[in-house]
Amino acid sequence: MPCYVSVQDKDLRIIETNRRFREEFGQGIGEPCFKVYKHREEKCPVCPVAKTFEDGQSHNSEELVQAPGGKPVWVIVYTCPIRDSQGQVTSVIEMSTDITQVKTLQKKLDDSQRLYRLLFEEVPCYISVQDRDLNIIHANRRFQEDFGDKKGRCYEIYKHRSEPCLVCPVAATFEDGQAHQSEEVVASRSGEPVNVLVHAAPIPNDQGEIAQVMEMSANITEIRRLQEQLTSLGLLVGSISHGIKGLLTGLHGGIYMLKSGAQNQDEARISRGWEMIEVNEARIRSMIHDILYYAKERDLETQSVDAAGLLKQACERLEVRARNLNVPLDCLIDAPVGELEADADALHSALANLLDNSLDACRVDKKKAGHRVTARARGDNEHVFFEIMDNGIGMDQETREKAFSLFFSSKGTEGTGLGLFIANKIVAKHKGAIAIDSTFGQGTQFTVRIPRKKG
Amino acid sequence: MSKKILVVDDEPDTTAFLTALLTDNGYAAFSAADGDEAKKLLDHEKPDLVLLDIVMPNKSGVRLYREMKETPELKAIPVLFVSGLADFKIFMQKIRPLPDPQDFVEKPLDEKTVLDAVRRVLAE
Repeated sequence: MPCYVSVQDKDLRIIETNRRFREEFGQGIGEPCFKVYKHREEKCPVCPVAKTFEDGQSHNSEELVQAPGGKPVWVIVYTCPIRDSQGQVTSVIEMSTDITQVKTLQKKLDDSQRLYRLLFEEVPCYISVQDRDLNIIHANRRFQEDFGDKKGRCYEIYKHRSEPCLVCPVAATFEDGQAHQSEEVVASRSGEPVNVLVHAAPIPNDQGEIAQVMEMSANITEIRRLQEQLTSLGLLVGSISHGIKGLLTGLHGGIYMLKSGAQNQDEARISRGWEMIEVNEARIRSMIHDILYYAKERDLETQSVDAAGLLKQACERLEVRARNLNVPLDCLIDAPVGELEADADALHSALANLLDNSLDACRVDKKKAGHRVTARARGDNEHVFFEIMDNGIGMDQETREKAFSLFFSSKGTEGTGLGLFIANKIVAKHKGAIAIDSTFGQGTQFTVRIPRKKG
Repeated sequence: MSKKILVVDDEPDTTAFLTALLTDNGYAAFSAADGDEAKKLLDHEKPDLVLLDIVMPNKSGVRLYREMKETPELKAIPVLFVSGLADFKIFMQKIRPLPDPQDFVEKPLDEKTVLDAVRRVLAE
């Protein structure tokens, strides 16, 4: 028989063995089972042979035994009673099958499963396994930490959307069985935007059908942040160089006027030349301040500012554009708002950016007519509020959550994705906040809240 | 009779400089602060050359240029673009199918660059 067979008496002494047993464990006749099999001096705590003597039933167990000088052997033990003519159990036959190889394979399998589990949990990216309906079936620890452990569809959990994304790498993988990549901006459980590089890979079943897809997303928010800084610096350099060219022309013009005025003893021209040099020198100086504001987190230059005046100025700056777009832009000051401590230039830019955004929202909304942008300032003891309302296209949740991300734009080719980012940054520097209340198709209200005193 | 040149730029210092420079060199120069203002002047007075900035409020240099090319009596007036834009050629490709302007000078400006370009365009 392809197993070790022994017959044992009530004292677990071996009475008879088969050839295979003898080859591995020696004669063993008269020796107790536990001594031959396990080199023990006393009975094993759990013994299937003893149990069979007790209840006359067959028993089985899994044991680790060792041949003399040999390596450990895993066996499955099966016992069977041998009865005399009165039905008494006089001896028990014990059959042990060597399952060492199975055991080794099983251990290897367990180890590799543990390893993959560890990898799945600890890998520094978000992993989810999804079915054809984009339901998340498994998610690793990192995913659950940042996006919660709620069950749901990928787009609900990742993007807080109510319907699938237009371009979906997972759906594409289900479609053609190939891996697909994309870059996405998703939202964490707390609504923070997270830039991810997504890789979708098929998981075929035994039949080779793709029933599941694994989506691995590397968080590249930090890389993007650095890249955005670089890009924004690049944009800045472009716009600065354009500005400086103009200022240098003014400066050069001033020098020309001064020189030619001196040659012709033209006093008026000399003083015009001086003025040009002074004005352009001052403007280069202030431009340097601007560069530092973006590049080096320049401190605010706060002073007491008339809140209503600030909003009016911002509206005036957008007047031409509003007229061009044929969108009435109203600036409403219902009651005196008073003053606040602010960097007037910076805050003026922030408000203008929000107004600009509202005008754009009206421009792109082709579904209704009668668009209008209204700006209002009000205040309480502690705060000044600027409200900018439009009845333009509005934002869905995804757009709301990404609105302040650098270079996020929902305006197609016309948006740079800079305006709201800078507005938010400036308001935050004033220890204020911008709230967005928006419904897709209906319109948007930005509420800028700024404390009257900065400190 | 001296040739008439219209300088269009929203930067008063630039128009002051260019009109002074051109006047000093025997031209009759006058100026406008944006495309709108320039268009009004052009309705009454036809210059021999227009020096045109690109980025301006109200009506940009490109819009004025387009309008000039679409208006039969202004079509033939040569235009010399004057701007701080980094890559004028790429910019012009974007605004096609407009005919190319006579010439282009890039800011920052100096006397020689401006006068050379003006003489080139006026074929003097």
